[in-house]
Amino acid sequence: MTVYESDLPGVGKKHEVDLGDGSRLVIVTHNTGKREVFRRASADSDSEKLFELTDKLARQVGTLLEGAYFQPVQTETIETLLGGDTLIEWVEVGANSDIAGKTLGESDLRQATGASVIAIERGDEVVTSPGGDAMVEAGDTLVVIGPKTACRDFVALVKGA
Amino acid sequence: MAAALLEFGYLFAVLAVVGAVALRLGLSVIPLYVGGGVVAGPYVAGRFGLPYVPNGEVVTILAELGIVLLLFFLGLEFSLDRLRASGAKIGRAGVIDLAVNLPIGVAIGLVLGWSPVEALLLGGIVYISSSAIVTKTLIDLGWIADPESEPILGTLVFEDLAIAVYLAVVTSLVLGGDGGVAAIGRSLAIAFGFLGLLFVAVQYGTALFARVLDVENQEAFVLRALAVVVPISGAALALGVSEAVAAFFVGMGFSTSGHRERLEHLLVSVRDVFAAVFFFWIGLGTDPTLLAAAAVPLAIAVVLSTPSKVLSGYLGGRAYDLSAHRSLRVGVGMVPRGEFSLVIAALAAAGTTPVMRDIIPAFAVGYVFVMSALGTVLMQRSDLVERLVFRGGETDGEASAEGA
Repeated sequence: MTVYESDLPGVGKKHEVDLGDGSRLVIVTHNTGKREVFRRASADSDSEKLFELTDKLARQVGTLLEGAYFQPVQTETIETLLGGDTLIEWVEVGANSDIAGKTLGESDLRQATGASVIAIERGDEVVTSPGGDAMVEAGDTLVVIGPKTACRDFVALVKGA
Repeated sequence: MAAALLEFGYLFAVLAVVGAVALRLGLSVIPLYVGGGVVAGPYVAGRFGLPYVPNGEVVTILAELGIVLLLFFLGLEFSLDRLRASGAKIGRAGVIDLAVNLPIGVAIGLVLGWSPVEALLLGGIVYISSSAIVTKTLIDLGWIADPESEPILGTLVFEDLAIAVYLAVVTSLVLGGDGGVAAIGRSLAIAFGFLGLLFVAVQYGTALFARVLDVENQEAFVLRALAVVVPISGAALALGVSEAVAAFFVGMGFSTSGHRERLEHLLVSVRDVFAAVFFFWIGLGTDPTLLAAAAVPLAIAVVLSTPSKVLSGYLGGRAYDLSAHRSLRVGVGMVPRGEFSLVIAALAAAGTTPVMRDIIPAFAVGYVFVMSALGTVLMQRSDLVERLVFRGGETDGEASAEGA
């Protein structure tokens, strides 16, 4: 990724990020803290303003883009939703996971951890309330419900090493 | 006392109303503040027997504070290091800008039969673009994200430096008056002596500036900053030296003290209040009937200095390796004139000849009215300007290298 930085005397700073398709994302950071975000489709075209953010909002959106903000909020909402200690987790089955290529009955994770699989997402397809004969493959996403500790054990087992 | 307070109430009410109009219509506030001053002042409201704001001593002093704070902020945002870092490009664009536009104004004055100092005042008014209006329009139109904003803002930085030197010289020429070469020489020597010492002080006094402002309390912070810049500016003026340049240097001193952002943040509304009073005060002193006397130089200046700024800006854009289209926009973007032309007009008004006292200030007000509006409209309709200039299809400019 190439970033071009330039000074805008009396205004602030400008950063341009090459998006790889010839277009650039242009971020103008004003001395007041305001951010304006533009997209310039090609070197010869004019920048098109996408949106502007206050300093505080920009930092929050920034952590979201960075991926640092997503997880805690997700857990928090779900805990509130279900109440008590129970929560829902999404976990992707890794290529080296022990349960890949087995049915739910064969791996018997409910016995081992106490968390139940309530759905299997495979691409666009979703198998809801899968039975013991439902096959789990690498790349699937399992939706699991159970007490917090059970969910944590489940995730650890499924992800594998 | 009561009458004076009432007059000030009237002044701020007019500023608030025209400010609201400017905001609603998306116009620059500067010409509207000036216009408000003209209408609410002795020459219009006064003549019609309506209540008016007299052009008194107190307004003059507050307006003077406006000049000091405008230039103080300019110094605050000016950085010699930055100028040095991107020096070659800014230098080329800035020198072209200066070499094209200042002589045109001077030439207009000389052709009208004015004295060299009067012509030099006209040259300055015509030369200096408005940082406030240009920057605001760049942001409003989104040009700020495009490559043309760099030569435009770079040239404005060069102009800041040029105007500091210009004001230092011209203040001495105007205030040094008619005492002949010896008197002018002496006042120039005082100016450069005082400003030279001040410049050295701000270059090496960073620690001192930092210590002065090292206080948590906001009120104490603001008062301390004013307690440095205002007395130094006042001392400069008492010696016949440009108070504006003194304020500019003090601003430069503060800019490296590590308190720049806090200063900008806390003082910006103080500056805006006094700057608005300054623009209003310029209007108070403007007799609209004198605009008729200034009509000829005004018409000549508008017709010549609009294309000259477009041309110098275009060449400046080319110096930044921009395409022909973008370079043309740089030219269009430099057209608005505003606050600094009025600062020069205020200096001229302190002069001794009728041309300086009456014609040049009226000229400057009319010129700023026309150029702030014309410049903003040209920027908004730059597509039409481009079509007009690049008539008959695309030019080779599109194919040339784009600045990264």
